[in-house]
Amino acid sequence: MTDAMIEFRDVTKRYGSLVANDHFTLTIQRGELMTLLGPSGCGKTTALRCLTGYIRPDEGRIFLDGKDVTELPTHQRELGMVFQSFALFPHMMVQDNVGFPLMIRNLPKDQRQKMVAEALRLVRLEGYETHYPRQLSGGQQQRVGLARALVYRPKVLLLDEPLSNLDAKLREEMRFEIKEVVTRLGITAMYVTHDQAEALALSDRVAIMNRGRLEQLGTPEEIYEKPQSRFVAEFIGLSNFLEGQVQAVDRDTMAVGVGGLQVTVPALPRIGPGHKVLLFLRPNEIELLRPDAPAGMNVFDARVEKATYLGDTMDYRLTLGQGLDLRVQSDAQRRFGPGAQVRLRFPRVRCWAIPGD
Amino acid sequence: MGAGNDPPPPFAAAVQRDGMTAFWRTHQSTLVTVFLLLPALAGFFGLFFYPMLLTVILSFRPEGHEVGWTLENYTRFLADPDGRWVILLTFILALGSTALSVLLSVPLSLILREKVRGHQFYRLMILVPLVIPGLIGALGLLLFWGSRGWFNLFLLQFMPFVQRPVAVNYTIHGLTMFYVWLYFPYTCVTTMSALESLDRSIEEAGAVSGANRWQVLRYIVLPLITPGILAGSVLTFMAAFGAFSVPLIAGGNYRPLAVEIYKQISIPIPARWSAASAIAMIMGLLQVAFLTLYMRFVRRGGGTGGPR
Repeated sequence: MTDAMIEFRDVTKRYGSLVANDHFTLTIQRGELMTLLGPSGCGKTTALRCLTGYIRPDEGRIFLDGKDVTELPTHQRELGMVFQSFALFPHMMVQDNVGFPLMIRNLPKDQRQKMVAEALRLVRLEGYETHYPRQLSGGQQQRVGLARALVYRPKVLLLDEPLSNLDAKLREEMRFEIKEVVTRLGITAMYVTHDQAEALALSDRVAIMNRGRLEQLGTPEEIYEKPQSRFVAEFIGLSNFLEGQVQAVDRDTMAVGVGGLQVTVPALPRIGPGHKVLLFLRPNEIELLRPDAPAGMNVFDARVEKATYLGDTMDYRLTLGQGLDLRVQSDAQRRFGPGAQVRLRFPRVRCWAIPGD
Repeated sequence: MGAGNDPPPPFAAAVQRDGMTAFWRTHQSTLVTVFLLLPALAGFFGLFFYPMLLTVILSFRPEGHEVGWTLENYTRFLADPDGRWVILLTFILALGSTALSVLLSVPLSLILREKVRGHQFYRLMILVPLVIPGLIGALGLLLFWGSRGWFNLFLLQFMPFVQRPVAVNYTIHGLTMFYVWLYFPYTCVTTMSALESLDRSIEEAGAVSGANRWQVLRYIVLPLITPGILAGSVLTFMAAFGAFSVPLIAGGNYRPLAVEIYKQISIPIPARWSAASAIAMIMGLLQVAFLTLYMRFVRRGGGTGGPR
């Protein structure tokens, strides 16, 4: 517990009958880059606002560096924040924007100048000191925002969808820049976004939120490869979902009956024959074989219903077994037309199951 | 219809030979424009340009004469201590009421921005002075603040230390207050719209950066709404500078320029038209000068520290 930098403990916030945060609990370690990921309305912004102090939670406590800050006003929390709308002060030059937190703290002028220059160097904006925000591009404005958030070395850096107002190419560039700056400074950061690609690329850990609660917490790999719920699997990338029933369990594998087929997947703890499970299969992880390929474990016959050319990949809709629909993506080298018979192979380790309802 | 193959109608040839009609054809759109503009031009000349010209000419005529030129009307007014006092008084009233309007508008807008209970009702109430004719407003104010009005009745009834009615009507502070009541909506409305167009996340950024409420207001909100406040305050200032009905009714011995002009043509017999015209010219020039100075100030950044 000593290394917890940010801690949400049972934070609840209601707006009338709407529960924005429902006993939300999360601990962010010192020096960690944590992403709050979720669709709009999942409560990630409310959680962020509770941390900045702009919203007071109805219940629960928030700790910053071991100190209970639930009742502390925003300006005393020693935070740095980057905003979706940049939120630069339009009437101030870049150097005054970046120097604002230092001016408020009454630092001597020469020290202020040194720290501003250092922050601007960090975001590669030297030479723009006397520009006004409106004279800068979106990416430059956001870098000023980053410099302003970091200039006085806050305990925590908060990023509220900082890239969603930038165009796609710039977004990818800035992603790495933010990651690099945060890693170099070793600062604790909380990043809020609805973009799963951003979350996976940036984070040390990802917290997926749904309806005000923490849905799943883990490293990007854990989240992507072992989603613990249908919500997470759907949110993190397109998936095929197959409902089935466990038929047999054999040490670390189990056989699941799905629409007349028998699929072998890694076994789940406390799941035995008769239990319902949900299988996930990513469209790009299913192997598409020729109809004369040898049969074997997890190999099934299927029929192509629809084929769409996507340039580097082909996107197929397939039917198999007793009315099962699957989406499969394979490289465009080998193509099948609608009506073609094919064989599919589900790689056992890539086939992931969770207990069904 | 096959119109292209038909022979030209018989009258077309005749039309083309007629020079007048040819002129009409080529200049049709210009002529129509001029024709349509005629009423407006006539109105402009008759209602604006001619009286204006007449005022300018009259102000340089010796009093009561139709001929001759003189600067006496100007020099007499400007040399007279009473005349200079009138100008000073007009400025004091206009500046004072503008300053008070700003002081009133900023906190009021800040409160109403938070969508307090009934904020829409209050918003509507702010506009009331603009809707009520100045004359009626002034009469109402005189009745309310008079020595037997509700204000003094309340003071005498409930404030033990008030022994006699407090003088409000016909005093300079009372007059300033009436001005504020009448003209502050201009400032308030523009201040409010400036505040509402402000991105709240900018203020949030200030707070996260360590600024308390007062510092956010001072370093972020106020500089950003200053152009809006200035735009509104210039309207209030100009309206107060030219105020007529309120000081006429409620001014007592305090007569700003507009009332002084009226006095010149209503009290002496025969009316002193030339003197009145000269004062009107002075008033107009002062207003133009003030507006020019103001525009220059706004263009240079209006105190917000940055180029527009």
